[in-house]
Amino acid sequence: MGGASKWGAFFMNIMVNGNKHDHTGSGSLDTLLMELGAKPDAVAIMVNDQVIPRADRAGITLKDGDCVEVLSFMGGG
Amino acid sequence: MNVDNKFILGGQEFQSRLLVGTGKFSSVEVMLAAIKASGAQLVTVALRRFNLERPSDDLFSPLVRLGVTLVPNTSGARNAAEAVRAAMLGRELSGSRFVKVEIHPNPHHLMPDPLETYEACKQLAKAGFIVLPYMPADPVLAKRLEDVGCAAVMPLGSAIGSGHGLSTAEMIKLIIADSGIPVIVDAGIRAPSEAAAAMEMGCSAVLVNSAIAAAGDPVAMAAAFAQAVKAGAAARQAGLMAQSGHAVATSPLTSFLAGIPA
Amino acid sequence: MITELPVELDPSSWLAIANSASETDVHRAMATTSPDEADFAALVSPVADGLLEDMAQRAKHLTESHFGRTISLYAPLYLSDYCPGGCAYCGFAADRTQPRRRLERDEMIREFKALKAMGFEEVLLLTGERSPKADFPYLSDAVAEAAKHFSAVAVEAFPMTTPEYRELAAAGCVGVTLYQETYEPVQYQALHRWGPKRDYANRLDAPSRVLEAGMRYVGLGALLGISNPMFDTLALYRHARLLRRQFWQSGITISFPRVCPQEGGYQPPFLVDERFLARIIFAFRICMPDVPLVVSTRENAKFRDGIAGVGVSKMSIASRTTVGGYCEPATSPDGQFQVIDDRDVATFFTALRAKGLEPVFKNWDRVYNLGLI
Repeated sequence: MGGASKWGAFFMNIMVNGNKHDHTGSGSLDTLLMELGAKPDAVAIMVNDQVIPRADRAGITLKDGDCVEVLSFMGGG
Repeated sequence: MNVDNKFILGGQEFQSRLLVGTGKFSSVEVMLAAIKASGAQLVTVALRRFNLERPSDDLFSPLVRLGVTLVPNTSGARNAAEAVRAAMLGRELSGSRFVKVEIHPNPHHLMPDPLETYEACKQLAKAGFIVLPYMPADPVLAKRLEDVGCAAVMPLGSAIGSGHGLSTAEMIKLIIADSGIPVIVDAGIRAPSEAAAAMEMGCSAVLVNSAIAAAGDPVAMAAAFAQAVKAGAAARQAGLMAQSGHAVATSPLTSFLAGIPA
Repeated sequence: MITELPVELDPSSWLAIANSASETDVHRAMATTSPDEADFAALVSPVADGLLEDMAQRAKHLTESHFGRTISLYAPLYLSDYCPGGCAYCGFAADRTQPRRRLERDEMIREFKALKAMGFEEVLLLTGERSPKADFPYLSDAVAEAAKHFSAVAVEAFPMTTPEYRELAAAGCVGVTLYQETYEPVQYQALHRWGPKRDYANRLDAPSRVLEAGMRYVGLGALLGISNPMFDTLALYRHARLLRRQFWQSGITISFPRVCPQEGGYQPPFLVDERFLARIIFAFRICMPDVPLVVSTRENAKFRDGIAGVGVSKMSIASRTTVGGYCEPATSPDGQFQVIDDRDVATFFTALRAKGLEPVFKNWDRVYNLGLI
């Protein structure tokens, strides 16, 4: 259940890579990546099934219930 | 394919005709060492969910440091729409326009879906990708994919990981004969001799993954493959000796041309 | 204005190889399962003349693999000899004085019936360059009429536009033959003194338009002897290869017309003898094993009997090269070319069967044309 904390930042429930995730922060993608320990340059992001190009990341604010996929390169043939 | 015999993909020339995949290695360190030993300039990678448990698992940065060109593949996609999305994501990450279209809905034999592959390639070529489709060794499909703008075709030698070598050799020869774009054998190669054979046949390049990753000494095997690909390409350039006994002579056929001054 | 030969057709870089290949090169070319351009150059080179018997054996083997022991038969039928053209080497050039005529519908039908009575199922309809008396509508109507009689109708006329070729296909045409005559631009200009045929680029591009229009096959060829035959042979090979790559769903055929010196008239600058002709036929068969190779009645009986089934898979017989020639005995010799092998069908068949070859009149049916366009 989302709500405003006493510090004014948002607290929201989102899905990340198929799992529930509590996000504490401004709802920006960079903050989320920091939370996850992911380097911004080493991942690609989808929000609600939309590919978010790197240039457009700054314009995204996450909201309660959003589904985020964070992808990176793994070994493959 | 071209008069001066260069290996050109998407307008870029590559010196190495050995492409390597990054799957199935026991560790990132071994994988990186093997890629280096192979001399490969084009390296395929898969897109997977970022590992939230182990965030320091980062393949991307060390590969970038190696200076190779990353070719994201679309493995995991079961249809064209998923492959196109995977390609978009891969492009975001790699910064390159290369994509290996790989759509294999059957998880047992991993054979590529010709219809979904064709559809995905059509869309991706239009969107400006340098499309390298993994495909069944079908000569007609190869021309279809060339027609929609693929930069090369990658017919399989045999099933992924099977190590059954060039079981599709006859088909690959037909593909090579008619192709206006590079032909890169992908999947099923087990031994460097098979890579050399593919090059002698006229392939422009080969892609090897399992044979290196699952070798006793992957780094040494990668080096061996590099030598084999160079040897096969050089042999083809040098012109292989004729095989003997092409036709059993029957009665003479050209007596009707006798008595005509040459 | 002289247009240049496009670089993808220009064989200049291969001439040196074609003239300096070794016997080893020729043997290798014969043995490989996927001959390339270097192999073709070796097979047409002068040294290959000494290996003609080996080449013939290989050519026969490949002809049998791809065509069986059969010879496809067709008949040329001249609809009209009206021609505004000025081709120095042609019996129909506009400055020739014989009266011109064209077949009207009832005359055409009589000719068609005469051919059918001889057994022919495939007809090749010919005209000169586009002219008011023999224009596209005339040709298209002729194709439509012929399609009622023959299983396969082909055309050898003037270069057309892609929409015209589509219309021709819809009328029932399955193939278009158009010889470049010579691929060498300077000589081309010199020989085509006036008329629409002076447009070298338009003619060169026409086979592509034929295939773009969805025609089942296009027939290529160079008129051997009007220019350097080695140059023309290599360019013809490149042209065939290019068209096959671009139009991989269509067929091509290759013919080998040799120009003849004319009494008091055109004297060709290059001599093309039968050994050279055999050499290049074998070379094409070895390098393009599945392409029909065609020889007409321009050649004599001995050569034709020798080369049938040894490279060559398609031939005409009992041809008439005058307009209306199948119904009326020719009163003048001024056909487009002189028929040298003037045997009748039965005599020719006996000769073919003696070689173990079966003549085939019908290899197609117009019912297969459905869905063509």
